[in-house]
Amino acid sequence: MKVLIVEDERKTGQYLQQGLTEAGYTVDLSPDGVEGLHLALTESYDLMLLDVMLPGMDGWQVLETLRRNGRDMPILLLTAKDQVEDRVRGLDLGADDYLIKPFAFSELLARVRTLLRRGRTEPEPTTLRVADLELDRLGHRATRGGERIDLTAKEFALLELFMRRQGEVLPRSLIASQVWDMNFDSDTNVVEVAVRRLRRKVDEPFERRLIRTVRGMGYVMEDEPEA
Amino acid sequence: MKLALSLTARLTLLFVLVSSSVLIGLGWLLNAAVERHFIEMDRGLLEGKVEVLERLLASPPQAGEIQALDDAVIDMFRSDPELKIFVQTVGGSLILAPPDLPFPEQAIDRQRVDQADMIFSWRNGGSRYRGLATTMQTALPDLAPLLVVVAINIDHHERFMARYGRTLSVFIPVAAFLSGLLGWWAARRGLSPLHLLQERAASVTASQLDRRLPEESVPRELKGLARELNRMLIRLEEAFRRLSNFSSDLAHEMRTPVSNLLTQTQVALSRSRTEGEYQETLASNAEELDRLSRMIADMLFLARAENGLSLPSIEEIRLHDEIADLLEFYDALADEAGVRLQASGRAVVRGNRLMLRRALSNLLSNAIRHAGQGGQGGQGCEGGEAGEVRIDLAEESAVVSLIVENSGDPIPPEVIPMIFDRFYRAESDRPRHEGATGGLGLGLAITQAIVHAHGGHVSVTSGRAGASFRVTLPSGKSGGNGVRESDAPKNLANRP
Repeated sequence: MKVLIVEDERKTGQYLQQGLTEAGYTVDLSPDGVEGLHLALTESYDLMLLDVMLPGMDGWQVLETLRRNGRDMPILLLTAKDQVEDRVRGLDLGADDYLIKPFAFSELLARVRTLLRRGRTEPEPTTLRVADLELDRLGHRATRGGERIDLTAKEFALLELFMRRQGEVLPRSLIASQVWDMNFDSDTNVVEVAVRRLRRKVDEPFERRLIRTVRGMGYVMEDEPEA
Repeated sequence: MKLALSLTARLTLLFVLVSSSVLIGLGWLLNAAVERHFIEMDRGLLEGKVEVLERLLASPPQAGEIQALDDAVIDMFRSDPELKIFVQTVGGSLILAPPDLPFPEQAIDRQRVDQADMIFSWRNGGSRYRGLATTMQTALPDLAPLLVVVAINIDHHERFMARYGRTLSVFIPVAAFLSGLLGWWAARRGLSPLHLLQERAASVTASQLDRRLPEESVPRELKGLARELNRMLIRLEEAFRRLSNFSSDLAHEMRTPVSNLLTQTQVALSRSRTEGEYQETLASNAEELDRLSRMIADMLFLARAENGLSLPSIEEIRLHDEIADLLEFYDALADEAGVRLQASGRAVVRGNRLMLRRALSNLLSNAIRHAGQGGQGGQGCEGGEAGEVRIDLAEESAVVSLIVENSGDPIPPEVIPMIFDRFYRAESDRPRHEGATGGLGLGLAITQAIVHAHGGHVSVTSGRAGASFRVTLPSGKSGGNGVRESDAPKNLANRP
């Protein structure tokens, strides 16, 4: 998966490059709009991270030119300006998503994965599996090692989210937004409590722990022994 | 361009205008009265003469002799040389006329004279005459009826009126000028309290916002103005105080986490450490930074709210549904804190869903935190049931009210006015351990900003125990008054 980052702030660009490279992507970094546009038009990328405020040629122009030239890879706009007009303009010009600085890297990563997944239209399986944990989405049943686990509706939704996105670190805000539809900075204690309760049912009675806390970032479900 | 005259000049001009129009009116009135008086005087005189003449004509000295009549008349009025007498027959021939004055044929309206006596005036040469015309029967059969005109010269009246006019034309401008002068002086005197106000107002500066205008020493008409200006100053002072407190609070709130981050990072770098230790440091930094970043987002939201929030999109919102969702969200947290959540009532408003959700979420989060604490405080509660939060919705006469009540410690009365201030936190709310997701002290301020943007109001009361937050919003059924949909919407969520 090839990702192009167009970002003039050197430090931000480097950290994004490092973070995405370590997440398993091939990353090119361009510090200005003209060069970024050239790269995007000549090379082939699966995703583009585009800063709006750029020297030479701003993000709007880059975005417009790309779309006019038929480049349809997902584009995620990054900006420090938190204005609805900007967001509307970006989406009108053909951007796929929009992130406001400062953002958490885990949030960015989650969005990048969502955008890359969007392109593929493989049907999601009705049964999700992580180690010996199984989730039957149609039957609304969760079992671990064959043992039935009783979950409330929201606990089920939370577990489904974790399993669908296993291996990804999910920030608390993303969890609040996906499970409870709380699309703003809400009391993150709520997510902590909900995850703790889910663990009590899914993890604690068993030897192997699947839900892991990544301090300062969020939670991840994975079938790997902790480092 | 509109001319901005000074108040003194305006008042002076008005004085001049008023006094000259009063004087001119008065002069005209007197003029008319004098004129009428002269006419009456002349009429009396002329009528007396006509009477004498009538008697003479009724019994003429020698019938048929016009010359004899002439002589008799001259004889009779010899003592009165100014008197002019004309006698005309029906046929139109003058049988009697003064030698020095032509008959005023033009001035006489014969039809009127047939009905009644007619008084009139006319001009001849340089002189003006007033005459009384009448018809008379006479004993001379072939001459009857006779038209008789008796007239006198009225030049002396004319001279009097001209003199009077001249006097007025000098007196009125002088009087107007004098009253203008007086008016100017009076206006200056009368307006002097304004200068006092101006001086005081000029002495109010940002560093001396506590200065007030003198309400007692200004005239009654200016008291209202002074009082309103003083109220404005009080509001300004309050807003200014909040703003400067806010800036210093902001600096303080940012300084603590930033200095923690700096120290922690520098200590970590001071010698080489194990991987676990580095991870610990970075994770702790990430938590602190997350807090800072949320604070910045909230601050931006509030800063924008200061300029009046406009709502990006407005729809009909069933508050009871929103509350049900929020209760589901907070269910686990409340359960852990030993707080029971209850909701009742239904209401519909118009507004922005995301924002209203955020406002209610902050209220609920606050209520749960305090209900839980009250229980732990061990004040009159036993067993596992530590506290409760009750939400009541009601809709009455186009106003929706939402009450969030929590058990727990009461809010001290001195704290209530500050509770919606930014960065205000109850002592018990101060984060006990750094980095925890304790309140930022912005939640209630955000709630207030959102409720205001929806044309509503939020208040808090606290009695012997617990606290009750009351939000009122215009009902959705009334067509959503007070909620303005913006044409240039602003983003309100921190995250899309």
